[in-house]
Amino acid sequence: MPIDIEKFKPTYEKWVAESLPDYQAGKMEEIVKKYPFIVPDDMPWTPYRGQPSEQIFALVTSGGFYLKDSQPPFDTVSIHGDTSFREIPADACQEDFGIAHAHYDHSLAEQDFNIVFPLQRFIDLEKEGIIGKLAETNYSFSYVNDVVSLVTETIPKFITRIKAAQIDALILVPV
Amino acid sequence: MGLIQRLVEEAGIATISLGNAPDRMAHIKPPRAVLVKFARGSMFGEPGNVKRHKRIILDALEALKTMTVPGSIKELPYRWKQPDPE
Repeated sequence: MPIDIEKFKPTYEKWVAESLPDYQAGKMEEIVKKYPFIVPDDMPWTPYRGQPSEQIFALVTSGGFYLKDSQPPFDTVSIHGDTSFREIPADACQEDFGIAHAHYDHSLAEQDFNIVFPLQRFIDLEKEGIIGKLAETNYSFSYVNDVVSLVTETIPKFITRIKAAQIDALILVPV
Repeated sequence: MGLIQRLVEEAGIATISLGNAPDRMAHIKPPRAVLVKFARGSMFGEPGNVKRHKRIILDALEALKTMTVPGSIKELPYRWKQPDPE
């Protein structure tokens, strides 16, 4: 069965109501334990076709990256997380980034963002001719619990953007 | 990220993800993934280890090209601060 988000919505709202005190107390293990993960029983599949050397690749991370001089940070306070995404140019550098994600240790990514969001490594591969191109725009999400908004609002918008950019394949790096 | 991957794949774009937690991946059911043995926040290995980052990306591209069974997960052999296997 595909994901039935309307059916999931009351379950998620119940979890928010019950987990808010634990969330505010920072008891992350408790709230994760109770989180009503959607476990789909189907498997979407698009066969990969073509050669990487002729294609456009885009990267997406959930590492909470944003351009600190021009973009707002993600909301790191709400129990819902933040369902928005930031568009990151392929040539962004370490000093361009802020990281807004309260639920992983980003001290290593602050030294080298490529361990979570390897834009520079994909540019290397582009120069070597191993991939055709890294997309001009890549994407960062952050911590998200509100998958209802994510699925109904954010992901359709995201898919429209990557289709408009004629992305051939998407590489996803969660944290 | 699992939902993003699944819905992008459903929309007709091939995807591959990295993962480090088989139990979480069993919930998420990514269409294609490679599994690393690194902690959260460092899926491609140690900061500055350019050679390793590249190797993991090439492994992921190879998996993207060759996986034919939906839901495939390939475990990669790298270990934190250990030399790459030949």
